[in-house]
Amino acid sequence: MNVYLPIAEMSVSVFVLFSMGAGVGFLSGMFGVGGGFLMTPLLIFYNIPPAVAVATEANQIVASSFSGALAHFRRGTVDIKLGIMLLIGGVIGAGLGVLIFAKLREIGQLDLIISLLYVVFLGTVGTLMVIESLNAIRKSRRKGEQEPAVLPRQRSWISNLPLKMRFERSKLYLSVIPVIALGMLVGILASIMGVGGGFIMVPAMIYLLRVPTNVVIGTSLFQIMFVTAFTTVAQSAANQTVDIVLALILMVGGVIGAQFGAQMGQKMRGEQLRALLGLIVLGVCARLGWDLVATPDELYSLGEAAH
Amino acid sequence: MLRVTITVLFALVATKVTAEDLRIGLSDPAVSIESNFVGTQVAVFGSIENPEPLAIERDAYDIVVVMQGPPTQVRVRRKERRFGIWVNGAGQVFDNVPSFYTIASTGPLREVATEESLESLSLGFDKLDVSPLIDADTPRSEEELASFRASLNRLQVADDLFVEEIGGVEFLSDTLFRARLRVPANVPIGHHRARAFLFRDGEFLITRSVLLEVAKSGFEQQTYNLAQRNGLLYGIMAVFIAMATGWLASVVFRKD
Repeated sequence: MNVYLPIAEMSVSVFVLFSMGAGVGFLSGMFGVGGGFLMTPLLIFYNIPPAVAVATEANQIVASSFSGALAHFRRGTVDIKLGIMLLIGGVIGAGLGVLIFAKLREIGQLDLIISLLYVVFLGTVGTLMVIESLNAIRKSRRKGEQEPAVLPRQRSWISNLPLKMRFERSKLYLSVIPVIALGMLVGILASIMGVGGGFIMVPAMIYLLRVPTNVVIGTSLFQIMFVTAFTTVAQSAANQTVDIVLALILMVGGVIGAQFGAQMGQKMRGEQLRALLGLIVLGVCARLGWDLVATPDELYSLGEAAH
Repeated sequence: MLRVTITVLFALVATKVTAEDLRIGLSDPAVSIESNFVGTQVAVFGSIENPEPLAIERDAYDIVVVMQGPPTQVRVRRKERRFGIWVNGAGQVFDNVPSFYTIASTGPLREVATEESLESLSLGFDKLDVSPLIDADTPRSEEELASFRASLNRLQVADDLFVEEIGGVEFLSDTLFRARLRVPANVPIGHHRARAFLFRDGEFLITRSVLLEVAKSGFEQQTYNLAQRNGLLYGIMAVFIAMATGWLASVVFRKD
């Protein structure tokens, strides 16, 4: 069954899109990640115009992060104050990102930059994940059981920055500068790459800001939800590239897939999950990287003339 | 005697004056794009009025039917290898490119019409009245322009936006003809014009045209219009739909 996407202006198979949504949803439920970094490249591989893929994916992430954030709210594992500080940076970053996005589209280099950013970030994060999880697997084999990671007490240069603020929920007293900067970075990436940015936010919160792990996920989801909501509205207002029909199909597939993924995830061991996810991430990275360096079949392409 | 001669002469002149004419019509005056739109077919019907019986006997008549979408500007880009990766170059803008162009004929264009008439009527992908916009900063040689122009045609053909259907026009009787034109799923919206051209022994006689309206309908139309005219409101609605879906999921699949 085909459906005509009013903004992408193309006819696509509902079944294929729904399966993509469910498949990525399954992985995101299993690994506890947003899945935007898998979904956006998949949409591009499926010939959805990159501009539409990125903006629409932001809209889908609103749905998945909202349902996740609600669950964390009920459990009280969200540091709202920290989330709002991250959000301030996120909104500034997303606003900047949408402007950069429009500019890149105008000069015809948007697709290239999206691919490059994906290759760099997926390559880095995937490699780190595989190395870290392989070490963990080796360690747990040697000792028989896994030790909780011990974080060094010192917070290095970050603790010397001014404008400190107390975050009661996280039991932290730290400068808002790195918090807002992190929010901004993730906001820019969210709007240009069509991702939530959890894959950068979560490690940065744990290792740089030393946020307790029990509030990291909830707080990051809280921030991602608002930033992607802002991105959706900004992309729609500035670039008219949010396809609501496409988003809805992906959302429904995504939330259903995520439920089965979450059940599967509970049966698997953490480090094996992370190694598997790392390999998937590297696979997507390799495919995108190959498309950049391999001689294309068609050297020419058509685009809008407007300058 | 003189009077008879004059009458005969008059009759001969009269047949000369009432030359061939064309009448055409569409199977459907509009194409509406709905959620299940996967492309469609439009038929252009027509008849040759006042045909010459001798020409009919000799099969001298040929028809070319063209359907053309609103003209646009298109930028053709060429990828260049820089630092090992393929990057889009500056490209070349062409003006007056039909956003959609389909041409059907009773036979191969070169047999239907003379080269001069194809040229003067802009019939065929290569003959289209498409003009490159010359950018003073990036001078281009004739060869480069030609290769950009050839790529434009090739890519439009690959996207189903330039279509050629040799033999796509059939005669249903001696004077009645029908052209079936394929309208792809990605047809641009707007006013399209269907034109029929009548040729006799390769010589152009007359052309007639009708309008075809291609529009999104119902939900597709409203969605598209809202996105274009009020992107802010559209974005806010998109966010609310997403939040409703997310909330519904968290209620349905609630575990605690």
